[in-house]
Amino acid sequence: MDVKLGVDVAGMALKNPLIAASGTFGYGVEYESLMDLGLLGGIVSKGLYLEPRLGNPTPRIVETPAGLLNAIGLQGVGVRAFVADVLPRLTKHDTALLVNVCGDTVEEYAEVSRILDGAPGVTGLEINISCPNVKKGGMAFGGDPRMTFEVVDAVRKATRLPVIPKLSPNVGDITIFARACEEAGADALSCVNTLLGLVIDVESRRPRLAFGTGGLSGPAIRPVAVRMTWQAARAVRIPVLGIGGIATANDVLEFLIAGARAVQIGTANFVDPGLYERVLTDLRAYLERHGLTDINQVVGTLEYPGDAERERRG
Amino acid sequence: MARNRDIPLVRREALDGAYVLLTFRHPEIAHEARAGQFVMIKAGISAEPPLRRPFSIMSVAPEREEFTLFLKAIGQGTRRLAAMDVGDLAQCLGPLGQPFVAPPEGSEALMVAGGYGIAPFLMLSRQLQASGGAGRVFYGGRSAGDVQLRSPFEHLGATLVVATEDGSLGVTGRVTAPLEAYLDAAAPKAVLYACGPDAMLHAVASLAERRGLPCQVSLDPWMGCGIGTCLGCVVWIQKPGEARPKYRCACTEGPVFDSRHVVWT
Repeated sequence: MDVKLGVDVAGMALKNPLIAASGTFGYGVEYESLMDLGLLGGIVSKGLYLEPRLGNPTPRIVETPAGLLNAIGLQGVGVRAFVADVLPRLTKHDTALLVNVCGDTVEEYAEVSRILDGAPGVTGLEINISCPNVKKGGMAFGGDPRMTFEVVDAVRKATRLPVIPKLSPNVGDITIFARACEEAGADALSCVNTLLGLVIDVESRRPRLAFGTGGLSGPAIRPVAVRMTWQAARAVRIPVLGIGGIATANDVLEFLIAGARAVQIGTANFVDPGLYERVLTDLRAYLERHGLTDINQVVGTLEYPGDAERERRG
Repeated sequence: MARNRDIPLVRREALDGAYVLLTFRHPEIAHEARAGQFVMIKAGISAEPPLRRPFSIMSVAPEREEFTLFLKAIGQGTRRLAAMDVGDLAQCLGPLGQPFVAPPEGSEALMVAGGYGIAPFLMLSRQLQASGGAGRVFYGGRSAGDVQLRSPFEHLGATLVVATEDGSLGVTGRVTAPLEAYLDAAAPKAVLYACGPDAMLHAVASLAERRGLPCQVSLDPWMGCGIGTCLGCVVWIQKPGEARPKYRCACTEGPVFDSRHVVWT
């Protein structure tokens, strides 16, 4: 039986629901020799500002139980070098290319978006309003619904490309931010960025990361991310991309069932570049085992217990 | 070209203490690896610990498509590798990174190792021997148990000088002492190669600088991916002609760097 894995997100036709997450896949070209990039539904580039960025001092990463705490600080080549040097190499691969847009100011987000709007080969823009590892911008925008609206609104006016804000999990109620993005004209949501964390070296009594706090990713955050994806997907009409600790087909399915239209795979890219092939095989097997023909039949099918059932006493 | 494979452990030889020799089958690594290159490897496919670990390749046997790692089980990742049984699978990507550059003709290779930093120098010694050159290995550790990888060098006929800080084997003191004594006595035309703890690398680099000798160091920062995407392993490097240092990935532009280009912090 032939099953359909293609999904449509905000007008982007993806060949399957697996997208490589920003900051975990470089600019894509790093993986060219290790895998067929055409296997992927899409790639989200490392975050880009107008100018090149040095990033944070080292140490920048530390392993945690089932996770990774990082404070890279958006080291990058800048949007112009990306368009001139990287994009032409990437467009030869048969996969959707999303670019992660950063800014210290609302105007910078808009300017980076304008530059990418005219760049051939770009499929969509992911708006980074949730990086915990920069002093300006980043989470400062994604932690305030009015600022979230302003950034998304400015980007919306700067481009015709699909606009996909990446939400922070470091908020009390993600639905407020999801709605703010929808009202500002977002086409989809990425849900979620890393959780703010801190690892301490007890000998020196200092943080293990030079920046201090960092963003937690990997399987450790998956239940939190699935819950937030589920909440966001119920709060808005635009599609949601689920992100957080995905490494297997089972993980993908959790997010899809919770309501995500597609997913992004992040930290697992560091661990196993061979995972896409395996996950796609396992997704097909799941659909066949459940007598389904289309991955979209799984989306949003969570049978969540009603209040009466949740409160029923044995 | 680096290749990602699930590979079987084919041989395991436990040494004293936490040290172990692990031999795996991986055709690309066995055929293409050069001394100084490394692999990213993790035992099994469990979620814990999450990341692969980088290890210098100690030796290769192309005819059997095998390579061998020499490691010390000190953390979660190394302990799981050391506990593997023959036939168990590991996830492995390699060969990765930039290798050591051979010394110019007429120059002696002086290899300086601290503890498990000895691993790449067995491969380098074999390469040097294959091309008709020779080398001298200075091998230091805290005590005799930390300088166990000696017989393969003796087997090769390489000159091996051992130093232990507690004096339990060889010269008493740090490994840089016999190195310095040799440089004083022989004043050789030489290239220094160093792999080991940061403090030792820095000491060897300073020594090389003072003596006007070229020196290549193999750096070992925390690595996430091994292929230049996580940007976790960046080190400050300033090459000739550059106005200021740049963060460069130790995994792709290293781990071997010209010591004069390293900004020691």
